[in-house]
Amino acid sequence: MPKSTAHWNGTIKRLFHVVLIISCFTILYACGSKDSAGEAAGTEGKIKVTTTIGMITDVVEQVGGEHVVVTGLMKAGVDPHLFKASEGDINKLDQADIIFYNGLHLEGKMIEILEKMARKKTTIAVSGNIDHATLRTGAENGMDTEYDPHIWFNVKHWMKAVESIRDTLVEEDPAHADDYKLNADHYLKRLQELDAEVAAKIGTIPEQSRVLVTAHDAFGYFGDAYGMKVMGLQGISTASEAGTKDVTDLRDYLIENKIKAVFIESSVPRKAIDAVIQGAAEKGHELIIGGELFSDAMGAEGTTEGTYIGMVRHNVDTIVNALK
Amino acid sequence: MLEWMSLLKDPNVQWIVLGSMLLGLSSGVIGSFAYLRKQSLMGDALSHAALPGVCIAFMLSGTKSILLFLIGAAAAGVVATFGIGFITRNTRIKQDSALAIVLTVFFGLGIVLLTKIQHSGNGNQSGLDKFLFGQAASMIRSDVITMAIISIVLVGICTLLFKEFKLLSFDAGFARGIGYPVAFMDQLIMFLMVVAVVVGIQAVGVVLMAALLITPAVSARYWTERLGVMVVLAGMFGAFSGFAGTFISASGNNLPTGPLTVLVATALFVISVIGAPRRGVLSKWLLRVSVRSQVRREQAVLQFRGEEQSQ
Amino acid sequence: MCTDPLTIDNLSVAYQKKPVLRNVSFSVSEGKLIGIVGPNGAGKSTLIKAALGLLPRLSGDVSVYGKGYREQRKLVGYVPQRESVDWDFPTNALDVVMMGRYGHLGWFRRPGSAERTNAMECLAKVGMADFADRQISQLSGGQQQRIFLARALAQDAKLYFMDEPFVGVDAATEKAIITLLNELKMQGKTVLVVHHDLATVEEYFDWVMLLNVELIAFGPTEQTFTTENLQQTYGGRLALLNRDAAASVITSGR
Repeated sequence: MPKSTAHWNGTIKRLFHVVLIISCFTILYACGSKDSAGEAAGTEGKIKVTTTIGMITDVVEQVGGEHVVVTGLMKAGVDPHLFKASEGDINKLDQADIIFYNGLHLEGKMIEILEKMARKKTTIAVSGNIDHATLRTGAENGMDTEYDPHIWFNVKHWMKAVESIRDTLVEEDPAHADDYKLNADHYLKRLQELDAEVAAKIGTIPEQSRVLVTAHDAFGYFGDAYGMKVMGLQGISTASEAGTKDVTDLRDYLIENKIKAVFIESSVPRKAIDAVIQGAAEKGHELIIGGELFSDAMGAEGTTEGTYIGMVRHNVDTIVNALK
Repeated sequence: MLEWMSLLKDPNVQWIVLGSMLLGLSSGVIGSFAYLRKQSLMGDALSHAALPGVCIAFMLSGTKSILLFLIGAAAAGVVATFGIGFITRNTRIKQDSALAIVLTVFFGLGIVLLTKIQHSGNGNQSGLDKFLFGQAASMIRSDVITMAIISIVLVGICTLLFKEFKLLSFDAGFARGIGYPVAFMDQLIMFLMVVAVVVGIQAVGVVLMAALLITPAVSARYWTERLGVMVVLAGMFGAFSGFAGTFISASGNNLPTGPLTVLVATALFVISVIGAPRRGVLSKWLLRVSVRSQVRREQAVLQFRGEEQSQ
Repeated sequence: MCTDPLTIDNLSVAYQKKPVLRNVSFSVSEGKLIGIVGPNGAGKSTLIKAALGLLPRLSGDVSVYGKGYREQRKLVGYVPQRESVDWDFPTNALDVVMMGRYGHLGWFRRPGSAERTNAMECLAKVGMADFADRQISQLSGGQQQRIFLARALAQDAKLYFMDEPFVGVDAATEKAIITLLNELKMQGKTVLVVHHDLATVEEYFDWVMLLNVELIAFGPTEQTFTTENLQQTYGGRLALLNRDAAASVITSGR
């Protein structure tokens, strides 16, 4: 009878659609979990650590050594203020035994996910043990967060972060506590030397030329610690856009103070700086780009600039060479 | 007054003002035709479609070259227009739906690519997200020259082919009947829109570009019933928006130029809707009121006369 | 034969596999007013559009005064159906009429005073001279139709195609239009009109074409506009009223 066959065809069609949808979801899920299955092999016995910015990744590798396997979420040139964790990133956070992040709202778009992770496992803000009195406020840099989060540019602050990482590893893995303490000591010594080196090099710049101008207000701590005045084009978060007056104000300031060079960064566009330089040139003041600095992220993996110490050294050398 | 004059002498301000005005002018002119051909959303589709173009250009070349980005954006725009045409011609989907589909698919693809680039190890990649919102305040002399050339060419073509564009927009069937290469001219107008969009997104960004294309044209429509006047007005409104937007942005800190330009254009629109003679809301209301009172007066006179006669 | 205003040979047009016109062939001689009638979907508008190259055709040749349509564009005028245009477009009546001269102006040139004068004359011929600077959305249906007509006049063609010009116009406008068409005929021009009202065919047109996907009949009205031809065209959906020996024709169930 035609009526029942039509009804039957309709049911089959619907069933087919349901099966199709279910299989789609199954495939997607399988794809998702295949990722993590691949990573699990070859890392047994080691502590899995997931970190956010490259500077933290570097420290954890230094302190943890062969006892940890570290996954950094943000690669070179990535802007931590704007970084949004994808499905894959959340997986990496999920799989970790320990999570290290900077804190102080640096990873502005990851706050919720980090809070979620904190309820499940050890999630440490490496800035946690820094005395808040020594922190710059957000207001000083025109930000709307409570504190300026770019703490790594003051080597002494970063040393505190190293200690925080060491203490966490020791607590989580007492079996290898001695190794952690030894590695940390070595690294802290190198950082101490670095700190002195930076101070000495900056000292060679004539005092009135100690002005650091970049497209990004991330060098506040650097300026405070080593005696340089820092001026940026926008607020610290790179999500904001410069206005006409911001550009002209900066240009006029540079001209008035006879600044010779400005510095660009890997994670911020060059156009704003170009506009300031060309404007200054129109007004008869020669301004050059002193070089590229690393601000929110380090250099490419595998290069010297891809490590914390290498990055700091590169920045300082670039600054000193241009302003001397 | 003096402050404004001194602002005008400032080189950066000059570049930004000129660039924004030229951008507003071109957008207003080509936007008029887009509006009359009911393709206003096209500008939005084209600017959103530019995002994956820029991302792919970066992924292929590995460098942040503005020229390559613009080529990528233009290529994506062209692909988008073909896609829209294809969908409308070969399916039952109407143009507005086709536009929305292409717009969202391309933009979604662009965001996916942008995220992917963010997660890759290349140390050079940031700054692509500036295409989302633009950086008008960063205009330099070469930008002004580029915009000037493009504006001259665009306005030149629209002037030369004014009657052809007019007929095409009014009655395409008749145009084809008298032998105009309608398909070619369609694509030409589309191409001019792509150019305006591609140049404009550097200043006001992908998200806001559509506003510059649509708003001055719609505002101009309220003031005239002649196409020529409308196009000129739209260009002037656009240029004024750029001018005023820059000046407001120059008067205080943290006032981004691109969005302010769009806000000025919107303000002009509101003024037009309310205040334009004949088409504006206010004038229509006043007309209604005056007609009503006139009718009442006439009725009163008639009534009076009627009473008189019956006495 | 070669100098006939219009010769159509074996024209076929299909829309998505459905045949709309099949093997239509005919030849039109100069100075005639021809009405094209047929039921809905008969392909009347399609015939005009295919002849003008506005629609793709499957087969067939169209020649205008012996040559292909493309070379003879200046000799052909077209009045499309009224709905095909956005009447809120910012232009006035005079402007629209001047568009009829665009074909003669060529690329880039702007219409000047000569074109303006010509347009005003055409407006006068359709009785719309007073409305020259009226915005077109403020015109009534009949007035808009006259504007289209004036535009076709401005084209100064020898062969005219008109697609249902009498639809939705008032009696005065209808009279004005048919008077104008007759004037054109007097001038030796040829006019093909897609017509919807069977009642007025005999009054208006000296030749008539009966079309229903295929060409049913084509010839002088008196001989061609017969009951049997009509029955064949409309497939028996006709009711005929005979009043004073002049047959009034009513169709039902279109």
